Amino acid sequence: MSEPNVPQTPEAAEVPAGPYVYDYKAAPYRQIAMPKTVPLPSYRTYVAEQKAAAEADEAKWQKTLADYETAKAKAEAEGKDAPKPPVRPVPRKDDNDMKPPVPQEATDADLLKLKELLGDKVEEIFEQAGELVCQVKKEAIHEALTFCRDEAALKYEMLADQSSTHYPAAKDFACSVVYHLTSISRRKRLRLRILVPEGFAPESACSLYPSANWMEREIYDMLGIRFQNHPDMTRILCPEDWEGYPLRKDYPTVGWGQRDIAFREDRGGMLERIALQKAGQLGINLKQPKAD
Amino acid sequence: MFKNEEMEINLGPQHPSTHGVLRVKLRLDGETVTHCRPMIGYLHRGVEKICENQSFFQGQVWTDRMDYCSAVANNLGWAEANEKLLGITVPRRAQYIRTLLNEFNRIASHLIWLGTHAMDIGALTVFLYAFREREDVLDINEAFCGSRLTTTAFRIGGLREDLPPGFEKMVRKFLAKFSDCLEEYEALLTENRIWKKRTIGVARLSAEDAIALGVTGPMLRAAGVAYDIRKAFPYAAYAEMDFEIPTRTEADTYARYQVRMAEMRQSARIIQQCMDGMPEGPVMAKLPKILRSEVNEVYHATESPKGEIGYYLVGEKGSLNPYRFHVRAPGFINLQSLPKMAEGGLIADVVAAIGSLDIVLGEIDR
Repeated sequence: MSEPNVPQTPEAAEVPAGPYVYDYKAAPYRQIAMPKTVPLPSYRTYVAEQKAAAEADEAKWQKTLADYETAKAKAEAEGKDAPKPPVRPVPRKDDNDMKPPVPQEATDADLLKLKELLGDKVEEIFEQAGELVCQVKKEAIHEALTFCRDEAALKYEMLADQSSTHYPAAKDFACSVVYHLTSISRRKRLRLRILVPEGFAPESACSLYPSANWMEREIYDMLGIRFQNHPDMTRILCPEDWEGYPLRKDYPTVGWGQRDIAFREDRGGMLERIALQKAGQLGINLKQPKAD
Repeated sequence: MFKNEEMEINLGPQHPSTHGVLRVKLRLDGETVTHCRPMIGYLHRGVEKICENQSFFQGQVWTDRMDYCSAVANNLGWAEANEKLLGITVPRRAQYIRTLLNEFNRIASHLIWLGTHAMDIGALTVFLYAFREREDVLDINEAFCGSRLTTTAFRIGGLREDLPPGFEKMVRKFLAKFSDCLEEYEALLTENRIWKKRTIGVARLSAEDAIALGVTGPMLRAAGVAYDIRKAFPYAAYAEMDFEIPTRTEADTYARYQVRMAEMRQSARIIQQCMDGMPEGPVMAKLPKILRSEVNEVYHATESPKGEIGYYLVGEKGSLNPYRFHVRAPGFINLQSLPKMAEGGLIADVVAAIGSLDIVLGEIDR
């Protein structure tokens, strides 16, 4: 067998002596794009936005009309032809099967009953995409859950899911916590929502719904919200000594800290040397990157 | 010589009966379990975080890899949650095909459960029989979408492709032999004296406890609660299907076995109805090329073979990716009930309890 055409490995002298330092802070996966809006569905905000949009539309139309009147008067004075009267634009209708659901006023009996029971502790109440949503004051969540479970007209037996979302762009709160309740006997679902500021510890739902145990541990693990009177407030998915809360929006996708260790300890540039050697065997020139 | 001391042992994380990397800390008094604490997280990959940083379409491949035994059911829940978020209506033919594939997936998942659960308890033969039919289901998956396990079967708004030629023949062939196959498995287990001794009265979980702990799926139905999301909150084409919810009241491992066997029969019935009543028409809704969400939050739950799988999505105005992507994994919630079932029982029954939970650690840790 003839000798295969193996490229020569680079000489030892070409390998830099200094340590190999990769700038992790500048790596593309570490760049975090913080959200600029607070996507928190709410009937009140929706109505206000619709009203503002309609008013802006009307003002624009009035301005167009006024411009037309001045242009017409000017043309008449100069003896020219009158300009074309403006046509009010009709909103374009998309020809597809997509109709994003919008918040609607609460008409469901369960929501009205809950509002009657809780009174001014209800902050927001509406329906969207066929789902019932009730936002209560953060101190009143235990009371609201008790009503939902024990009231004969509500009877939500199961806490199906509990979750949380981080809203860094919001001013007066940091996270929302949502409770998805299911009534097996009445075939209904209800979402309770609270908004918690940084450092606030809401009351745990464990005493009412034991299924909240692991879900609240997961919320603590992923978003750092502690719950009061929880029997076992420890991390569940991440190791106990993990730093940071991964589902917060300021946490990079690749995490931080853990991956740098191998490189940080590479004082002698060992990894660089190995990489150059391997590349040389494969015939790749790592030393001269392609010109842009 | 005889000490009255409790012993603490670890079951797992590398134990064949834990179906993955589940670690259970047990405290034993002789052979009786006095304390049980499941410890999870060994397979945590941050699926929720990844899906929040990808477009609406790209999340699907991650749902395949959560519960890899019931990928189609995960895909279905994901697709429907996104459709609810964006307000998309899906054509009827696509709904039927989705229902059909979902029921095939239920059969495949229950078969893999049957094989491994029986093997945990000591009935080794059933495993080979169960995997023989599971192979046919995977072939049907392959004929439809090209892959067998991680299917990525659906798209937001419908399906990518219509059914391939020769699909109906495959389905009919499977249906013709499947009821005989079920009788074969039952001949091996139902009246088997050892199987009955190992499962009857073992790992009980009453209906009240199950509801309080959020347990869903066959576990809840074996306790006598006829709660099936396919009936309670119908989705896909289930409102048009005629099927029953099998329930038992004994709430033990044997009852769960009976419920799952009966469920496979019902699945075959649903598949038959889907194939007979398959409507004509398009399989994909008319959608814009780029999907942008409005401000909205949805929680959509579907009945996966393991229980209620729910997707909680939050949409940002004009955004290409979900602002929040949360999965309510059935295994995660069901596993909470393990201490309730295992404490006070024998250590050998812990294995039966874990088997009857039908857990897949990929979805528990996400």
